[in-house]
Amino acid sequence: MDFESNYEISRTADFIRTRNFTKVALQFPDELLKESTRVAKALRNELGKGVRLYVMADAAYGSCCVDEIGASHVDADCVVHYGHACMSPTSTLLALFVFGKASIDVNACAKSLRHCLSTANKPILVLYGLEYAHALENLKTVVAELLQLSVSNSGVHFAEVACSSINPSGDKMTDKKQLYSHNGVSDNEEVHKYEDGNTSLISVNCNTLEPCTKYSLGGLIWTMPVGHKMEDYLLLWIGSENPAFTNVVLTFNNCEIVRYDAEESNLLKDFADQRRILKRRYYLVEKAKDANIVGILVGTLGVAGYLRIIQQMKELIEGAGKKSYTLVMGRPNSAKLANFLECDVFVYVSCAQTALLDSKEFLAPVITPFEAVLAFSRGSKWTGEYVINFQDLTASTTSDVVNDTEEARFSFIQGGYVEDIRPLENGGEHKETSLALAEATEKALNLQNQCTDSVLFKGKATSGAEFFAARSFQGLNMQYENPLPQSYVIGRTGRASGYEDEK
Amino acid sequence: MVKFTVEELRRIMDMKHNIRNMSVIAHVDHGKSTLTDSLVAAAGIIAQEVAGDVRMTDTRQDEAERGITIKSTGISLYYEMSDESLKNYKGERNGNEYLINLIDSPGHVDFSSEVTAALRITDGALVVVDCVEGVCVQTETVLRQALGERIRPVLTVNKMDRCFLELQVEGEEAYQTFLRVIENANVIMATYEDPLLGDVQVYPEKGTVAFSAGLHGWAFTLTNFAKMYATKFGVDEAKMMERLWGENYFDPTTKKWTSKHTGSPTCKRGFVQFCYEPIKQIISTCMNDQKDKLWPMLQKLGVTMKSDEKELVGKALMKRVMQTWLPASNALLEMMIFHLPSPSKAQKYRVENLYEGPLDDIYATAIRNCDPEGPLMLYVSKMIPASDKGRFFAFGRVFSGRVATGMKVRIMGPNYVPGQKKDLYVKSVQRTVIWMGKKQESVEDVPCGNTVAMVGLDQYITKNATLTNEKEVDAHPIRAMKFSVSPVVRVAVQCKVASDLPKLVEGLKRLAKSDPMVVCAIEESGEHIVAGAGELHLEICLKDLQEDFMGGAEIVVSDPVVSFRETVLEKSCRTVMSKSPNKHNRLYMEARPMEDGLAEAIDEGRIGPRDDPKVRAKILSEEFGWDKDLAKKIWCFGPETTGPNMVVDMCKGVQYLNEIKDSVVAGFQWASKEGALAEENMRAICFEVCDVVLHADAIHRGGGQVIPTARRVIYASQLTAKPRLLEPVYLVEIQAPEQALGGIYGVLNQKRGHVFEELQRPGTPLYNIKAYLPVIESFGFSSTLRAATSGQAFPQCVFDHWDMMSSDPLEPGTQAAQLVSDIRKRKGLKEQMTPLSEYEDKL
Repeated sequence: MDFESNYEISRTADFIRTRNFTKVALQFPDELLKESTRVAKALRNELGKGVRLYVMADAAYGSCCVDEIGASHVDADCVVHYGHACMSPTSTLLALFVFGKASIDVNACAKSLRHCLSTANKPILVLYGLEYAHALENLKTVVAELLQLSVSNSGVHFAEVACSSINPSGDKMTDKKQLYSHNGVSDNEEVHKYEDGNTSLISVNCNTLEPCTKYSLGGLIWTMPVGHKMEDYLLLWIGSENPAFTNVVLTFNNCEIVRYDAEESNLLKDFADQRRILKRRYYLVEKAKDANIVGILVGTLGVAGYLRIIQQMKELIEGAGKKSYTLVMGRPNSAKLANFLECDVFVYVSCAQTALLDSKEFLAPVITPFEAVLAFSRGSKWTGEYVINFQDLTASTTSDVVNDTEEARFSFIQGGYVEDIRPLENGGEHKETSLALAEATEKALNLQNQCTDSVLFKGKATSGAEFFAARSFQGLNMQYENPLPQSYVIGRTGRASGYEDEK
Repeated sequence: MVKFTVEELRRIMDMKHNIRNMSVIAHVDHGKSTLTDSLVAAAGIIAQEVAGDVRMTDTRQDEAERGITIKSTGISLYYEMSDESLKNYKGERNGNEYLINLIDSPGHVDFSSEVTAALRITDGALVVVDCVEGVCVQTETVLRQALGERIRPVLTVNKMDRCFLELQVEGEEAYQTFLRVIENANVIMATYEDPLLGDVQVYPEKGTVAFSAGLHGWAFTLTNFAKMYATKFGVDEAKMMERLWGENYFDPTTKKWTSKHTGSPTCKRGFVQFCYEPIKQIISTCMNDQKDKLWPMLQKLGVTMKSDEKELVGKALMKRVMQTWLPASNALLEMMIFHLPSPSKAQKYRVENLYEGPLDDIYATAIRNCDPEGPLMLYVSKMIPASDKGRFFAFGRVFSGRVATGMKVRIMGPNYVPGQKKDLYVKSVQRTVIWMGKKQESVEDVPCGNTVAMVGLDQYITKNATLTNEKEVDAHPIRAMKFSVSPVVRVAVQCKVASDLPKLVEGLKRLAKSDPMVVCAIEESGEHIVAGAGELHLEICLKDLQEDFMGGAEIVVSDPVVSFRETVLEKSCRTVMSKSPNKHNRLYMEARPMEDGLAEAIDEGRIGPRDDPKVRAKILSEEFGWDKDLAKKIWCFGPETTGPNMVVDMCKGVQYLNEIKDSVVAGFQWASKEGALAEENMRAICFEVCDVVLHADAIHRGGGQVIPTARRVIYASQLTAKPRLLEPVYLVEIQAPEQALGGIYGVLNQKRGHVFEELQRPGTPLYNIKAYLPVIESFGFSSTLRAATSGQAFPQCVFDHWDMMSSDPLEPGTQAAQLVSDIRKRKGLKEQMTPLSEYEDKL
């Protein structure tokens, strides 16, 4: 595919020109970084000298999100985001997305689609990776020809790309935002403005004809007549097995899903791995229920509403009688997380496609805000519904959780009933004052006689101070046996990967 | 039908000297429930005619179908004794009415947690032993349990009818058999010498042994016969009783008692002459329908039959005659009332075992005195599912004070620590209930010394708890029960319809509550696990789960899963090193197997993290040959800080070592829980920290750097020390006749089991076989065995030890390697083990 159309140079130039932007940041994921100079050069040729272009890479969090912090370092007017995107709404900057155009054999794809339709006796909803969005119109026509029917009544439905640019959804916008719907899927229609008619501006005329439910997920939107449920459809995913696909599988875990791999041109039906992820998440939720100290990991500084959700998490955790600490550490890895041994679980606030962090290497589980809501509100049950996008969560977590039961909580991790620390009744006295730390330490010191092992390694600590007090190392011990100064020794030299005396 | 009313029952409850709380314990199939029936019948709850067939205390349908008891069932019975029969009773009493709170317990080893719960709330135990099979493994187990709880036992030699009808043994032979049974039981009891409990051994001549035929509803103690003959011989009863057992012979021709067999053919042992032979005679006369002979004999014995009963023939006649002559209830009740302690007597010595707090506070005193006016002390030992689904009765025993409907009680759970608010609730009792047969009756209140069921507390009691009055804030709880079996067999359950998940979760919670032994947990992979003591236990649990606790929602149950352990065979072949993520820190470690018996000592708690280091060093150096200084350098135990693995510091002169200790321990806790082979727990591995290189700046040697490194180096040292799998092994005891032995050996061989003991029971054609059988091979073992021996062999399996599998899991194609890959597959891990190179770093 030729360079010009793959990177949509002219469209990008138009976009910048019409808005008279003068500073534009171009954000590349690592795998496309090698093309960045060519793209910048081509754009500069189009735009002339008036526009300053900056190339950004190595985003602090996922490369699928718009790096607003990076862009604001150069005071950019907008960000052009290249490559795979999660389409999370931005909070301050305008962003244009260039998905790239992956090659696809439209005919083979249409044939697979027909095969699916004939074997499954339900309508098909086609979802796809955004890199295949360019082939959508083409595919529609081929499918229509193949089925000799018009696409609209063939039982094949196509999701549309919501938009290719995102306006910041400032506070004004989020207030307006209506987050609703019985299955917790939000409608972002009002958030986005369809500025670009070129890619695909979907007609919302069905609103006028018949009432329908709108769904949006990872930059795709589709509608469905009221009364139809997602389970009634067979989902066909065109694209690779990436986080976007995992999101689809998890969100619609009740649906039958097949994947069409565009590179191999074949259909895949086995998603045991993805199903397993859901079970594993369930386990993590159960594990989180046992936690006393929760670390909130800030995994994004751009996605709209992240501050609100952090605040909400704090309140939720406090309400559950647990202690929370907010940590900003860039992209988490096992070494970083292990520095916070006192945290029994981490809640990771990030964009939908980087939200699922799970690794055998992590000492403590990392869960999403949705899972945190499940874990920390007593009486809530996992019904199979799964929300990855935290924006969808903000409204739906009205505290309608019945708190009448005082039955001890059953912990599936410990295999028995356990007693939770109950939320403090008069929280007013326990505000975060300077005394709080001292008190906690004092209490912790009283516990010294007890075995500190359970505080340190079994998550019995209720605050960081208590944990620190239980540690066996309490600082340097000044009373060495030999008070005389020791003679100096010459240390090692060289680099840590191999000191000089080791070579 | 019922001969007594709630009011009567309630009235005797206040007479603490006239109460007997007792449990019926025995090996499986020795006739507990059947014998219980005849007692129940005597109380008028069921008809005398059907006693022995109804199995009144097997209330569940599956119990009736399988013919085994699964849950222990309580029943309160009222008896009025005659003055005549009580005239020899020396203890305190209030009138002639007695209340027996009886608990029938299961005999199958899988349900022994039920026995534990029953024993806690009773003071005496009726030990039932089959006269042919003798003392079996489960008899021994339950006896131990009983004596550990300071429960006074009495014995009944049951299934006497087999002697007369099936085996047709002669008097002397039968006597020897009975003697052996009693001696065997006494041997076990003698090992539990307890000064407070006194002599717990049983003696027929003292009336603490009964002879019964539960199925036919008759029983006798020597007291019965002694009474009969005392007048005839003109000696007192006590003297007569002694003559009826042991080395006392009587020759009817000379009419003389001797202490040796005189050699004369008419000279017979007292027991044979006066007890065994008459019964034998009556039975054979009945069976042969020699009614003309029978009636005069009965008249001589003072037995009068109703006219319609005289029409009976054969077995029915025999049963009826024997029941009238030697009713089981009389003999057994008398034995219980005479020889089992009343609550007020028993609590005097049991208080030490029961109460956790200081033994001189008001609560201990109230328990000791069984004081109904004292503060309430009540122990809830089990939760009984109520008829409305999902609710439970809290079943327990009042040790002091009284519990009343509507009363506010403090509920102290098993994790309650005095002075703290943890695991503590104050709630009111909605209703107090007593069990009368199959139905429950509400009563206003229940005073101390009685068993009671309470409604309205099930939400706050998990499995067991101690209840006190609302205001008694300084009371300590009653000691938690210890169970003798552990859940080793596990299955994964999931619901057929995904949306039933909340039902499953709720069901599992209820299941965990209803059974003290079952464990409901969740695996790392997100699967729900139900673990039980054995195959049968698990089967029952799953049935309950689906039918009672999930409202019939369908569940899918996986094949049984056995958990393994990972260990090492030798010391690591070299010191391994791992670098921290920033490459600035290095840990050097070696793994070695623990000395024999050390892991078991840790399991038992003889060695643990809370020991005084000096004591620990002493045990380690004396018993396990450790260096004394080294013993002081144990950093920790794991997993869960108490497990049978440890980290020992062998470093010399390393700076900042103390600073990273906690991090290394955290890494070790993590790694020892999920070993390198298949993420099973480690066992019996000792990790030695050989050397440590640390960065000079504290920021570069924090937990983040050291914890993952410690985990990696532990895995590396495990993999270099010839890792092996340990599999759980059952001790199997089988009793079978000689002709079944071939089949038993065949099945055992096929299942990788091996027999280590084979004994013939003296005087019987039965053999006792003890064998080891890997748990993983035990699924379906019972049924295969039954098929191979045409139903003559019935095994009892108890977890015994961990056995090392000799094959090398690192070598592809071996059995261990196959197992490892199966486990990994099940857990959703990569089928290939992570290679050593991932964990070990080179310089």
